[in-house]
Amino acid sequence: MALFARKDRLPIPPKDAERVTTVCQYCNVGCGYDVYKWPVGKDGGKKPSENALGIDFTKQRVALQGQSIVENMHTVVTGKDGRQYNVLVIPSKASPVNRGNYSIRGGTNAQATYAPSKPTRNRLHYPLLRVGDQFQPISWDEAIDIIARVVKGVKDRWGPDSIAMKCHDHGGSGQGFEDNWAVGKFFFIAVGTRMLSIHNRPAYNSEVWGQRERGAHELNYTREDAWLADTIVLWGANSFETASVFYTEYMLPNLQGATIGKKRKVYRRGEPAEAGRMIVVDPRRTASVAVAEDVAPGRVLHLRPNLGTDYVLANAIARAIYEKGWHDERFIRRRTDLKTFEDYKKKSLMLDVPYDEFMRKVERLTGVSRGDIEKAAEWIAKPKRRRYRRRTLIIYEKGVIWGYKNYDTIASIAQIAALTGNYGKPGTGCGRQGGHQEGYVRPHSRSRAKLVGSVYAGGPPPNIDEYVKQNLNAKVYFVSATDPYLSTPNAQAYKKRVHERTFALTKFLSEYAATAGEPAGPEERARRILEGLGKTEGLFLVVLNMYQTEVGRDAHIILPAAGWGETPETSINCNSRLLRLYDKFVDPPGDAKPDWWIWGRIATRMKELYEAEGNYEEAKYCSGMDWKTAAEVFEDGASEFPDNRVSRADEAKLPAECYKGVTHDLLRRLGQKGIQTPVRIDPKTGRPVGTKRRYTYKFGTPDGKWKWYGTDPWDPDPKKFYPHQITKYFRGDNERKFPFWFTNGRTQIFWQTGYNDRYLPEKVYTIPMPYIEMNYRDAERLGIKSGDIVEVYNMEGNCVAVVYVNDSPPPGTVFGIMYRFHESLNHLTTSYTDPKTTIPWYKGSRVGIRKLPGRLESVIKYTSFLPINDFS
Amino acid sequence: MLETRLSRRTFVGGSIVLGALLTNFRFAKAFVAPSLPYRKKKIANIRELKTHKPIMFNYPDEKSPAVLVKIGRPAVGGVGPKKDIVAFSALCSHMGCPIQYSKGRFVCKCHYSMFDPAKNGQTYQGHASEWLPQIRLKVDRRGNIYAEAVEGLIWGRIINLLPR
Ligand code: SF4
Ligand code: FES
Repeated sequence: MALFARKDRLPIPPKDAERVTTVCQYCNVGCGYDVYKWPVGKDGGKKPSENALGIDFTKQRVALQGQSIVENMHTVVTGKDGRQYNVLVIPSKASPVNRGNYSIRGGTNAQATYAPSKPTRNRLHYPLLRVGDQFQPISWDEAIDIIARVVKGVKDRWGPDSIAMKCHDHGGSGQGFEDNWAVGKFFFIAVGTRMLSIHNRPAYNSEVWGQRERGAHELNYTREDAWLADTIVLWGANSFETASVFYTEYMLPNLQGATIGKKRKVYRRGEPAEAGRMIVVDPRRTASVAVAEDVAPGRVLHLRPNLGTDYVLANAIARAIYEKGWHDERFIRRRTDLKTFEDYKKKSLMLDVPYDEFMRKVERLTGVSRGDIEKAAEWIAKPKRRRYRRRTLIIYEKGVIWGYKNYDTIASIAQIAALTGNYGKPGTGCGRQGGHQEGYVRPHSRSRAKLVGSVYAGGPPPNIDEYVKQNLNAKVYFVSATDPYLSTPNAQAYKKRVHERTFALTKFLSEYAATAGEPAGPEERARRILEGLGKTEGLFLVVLNMYQTEVGRDAHIILPAAGWGETPETSINCNSRLLRLYDKFVDPPGDAKPDWWIWGRIATRMKELYEAEGNYEEAKYCSGMDWKTAAEVFEDGASEFPDNRVSRADEAKLPAECYKGVTHDLLRRLGQKGIQTPVRIDPKTGRPVGTKRRYTYKFGTPDGKWKWYGTDPWDPDPKKFYPHQITKYFRGDNERKFPFWFTNGRTQIFWQTGYNDRYLPEKVYTIPMPYIEMNYRDAERLGIKSGDIVEVYNMEGNCVAVVYVNDSPPPGTVFGIMYRFHESLNHLTTSYTDPKTTIPWYKGSRVGIRKLPGRLESVIKYTSFLPINDFS
Repeated sequence: MLETRLSRRTFVGGSIVLGALLTNFRFAKAFVAPSLPYRKKKIANIRELKTHKPIMFNYPDEKSPAVLVKIGRPAVGGVGPKKDIVAFSALCSHMGCPIQYSKGRFVCKCHYSMFDPAKNGQTYQGHASEWLPQIRLKVDRRGNIYAEAVEGLIWGRIINLLPR
């Protein structure tokens, strides 16, 4: 008895199967995948000479060495010619990134393809127009015309800032340089609005200005550095689950000592090379901690700071390093700005406060012992035998990016690496692990609206969630490739308000139609919409996505987007900035179109409308977006990058994504090998060359020197340390009502909102509903068992979840999956954003917990509640 | 393909779309496990089993290690009076390493996938995108336990039954 249909054989690709190179559509690691496509019924044979893979299928393959081909890697699609095709999407052994390895997410890449006989039939097929309480399919021409008329009308009457957006800025997941460039050109130039926000947050900002403004882009190391480091620090990054193959292919072998040979090859002569150590900074005992401890007992250090205290902890580790004299004097002198170093010593290291007193305060606030802080300092910076500097790779992610005081936290961590000379050398680096892959290119140099940086660079940027909620000047709202009803902080309050505003317009249009009939065409419809936007608090919502989403429920127009494998796209991965082409191998469902085509069409229609009224000035801004192919968009985007015919040292001056000189054709030739950005044109040969590791010679500042930063003062008393969004929970009766700290994160099992995964039976059984993790001690006290259903609630909102009792969260803290399919624990996050960057603090809130009477029997029966962080 | 479709249209009078759907339907059904002539194999007798003491065996052939275990809690597809006897392929469905039974579940130490034997071999943690293939069991009146079929593709094969 199997809970869902399993296979016990798969078809074999014939020798002449069509082959395409691609990259996993999901996480930051960017594992390479090979695609084989052939007509159903035209299978190859079992002998190596009879099939496309050259594999002997008459034999059992050898573990780890053999090609993985599992059930979920095969599917059947319908071609535009009406024929059925087998599609095999398998992890590429030729990829330097994953070398045949894959994860629970990427292993199902094939299942994400559209097929009319599979659950992906739920993909959006046609543009949809809201009429009253229903969506009606319309043609692209009609949809584009309505949108262009409304955008133009709103812009002409209320100005460009009345158009707001929340759009992807990343690569992978069916996005890449092409779509990012199109979004940028549309909003920066054709519209010219400042009211921009990025898919997973309320503003248009870097998540790591604290590091960038020091002179280093966050993607500076290369994946091989995780083989070569003496010590790997994972700070707020549960890499085993969120960068799975990076963890198991790069970090694990290092901890096992399997990369000592590689180390010997690149280390200096006489330099000690040993099995790696790992420091994990995370309030939870994550799977990343538990696996490391199983592999390398005694060489793993786990620091569990109180929520939001990471910048204090980072500064304390730095202070301990400085106190012991383990900092890299030579690096500091030669590579960093000594003027600002004084500020850093005073404010971040707090050298004026005696060491013992400083450490006592740190212990009180962070909950981390002085012993552990000093041990971390030792593992990061104490020179090795014969006085060789220790090579430390620091990888951080959302646990700190989305922590309290984003700017100071990221700056503090990045500065540990500068203090210890850990940039630009093999086995070093300090940067993001990454969530998605990347693929950012936008026309900043030609933007009509002035975009700002952090508070130290003209900012902070406006909070668009709040703008849309509160400011009636916001009239049009585009939401693309994201579902903020699940993913934005304080989501319950947000969706309630967006619903009210969009419904106000819907109601106006319905009442209008009740007396005057439905509009006679797009022009008339747009006119009524504009009238409604003037007369009510209405908001016109346009949603672009592959599927119907939660936010899509309130849309006025929904546009169906092509996904991964349905149009050629390019992205870089996060752990080595490896640029590759994700080629097309299937057609989008119905009339779905690539994002770049959609933005281009809207702009081009606006251009025609402006021309028709003789406004050639505005028409000019809407021109140049009439692209025909993805390759054309890619090359158009390259125009934004500066002259990259520069020396090796001057890579530091190039944007991390710079790909000038690279074309789709070149990438197609390079295949899985790809090229690491920033790409330079070698001044000698005139050929494009990649950059393996960044900042070996200088940093990305005008004088090439690292710029230090002194962080804010802090109070060791939690009641004074936290912002008012949290301290309100300490007041009066609230401390009793909301006794738990609440933090959130992801699971290895599914990707993002599970937009594809929700159709796979494995995922639905494994994660049947939102869940929280609770420590044994708390569970016992409350009489809660694994599988019980609870309501988690606070002054922001509520969510119902199933409980996993384990020792992952510390007592007094519960962890929740950030969101799942239709439900969201982001209802519980506060509206706090860092005043320096407008980055929210998703990872800290206070909650109460109430057990629901009864259980859900199917959940108990089919879902595993075994501890996910015990591998022994 | 093209010929088949044309002839279907000519002789049956059905539409091209129907033809395509039929092909797809037949295809989809054809590979659903168990789709192969598995042979029955005796593994053990119920009386020999002790809770949490796994028994290794090979199934459906010598190249395919498998494991039978009485897990002490009712299981999806479990046999025996407590429905707690289950068997699985012992090759990790991720990249084929041998799995180990401990603390009532299977762990693969290559990349740390974990599978719950009570829940159809569910990957509740780790990289394996397939649940561990479960082996269909049958118990006769004398308490003999037989393997009957494998539900799920054994890692390292394109078809569960290799040519002899
Ligand atoms: S680790 Fe990330 S990139 Fe690699 S297969 Fe898994 S989801 Fe895809
Ligand atoms: S082979 Fe078992 S987890 Fe990879």
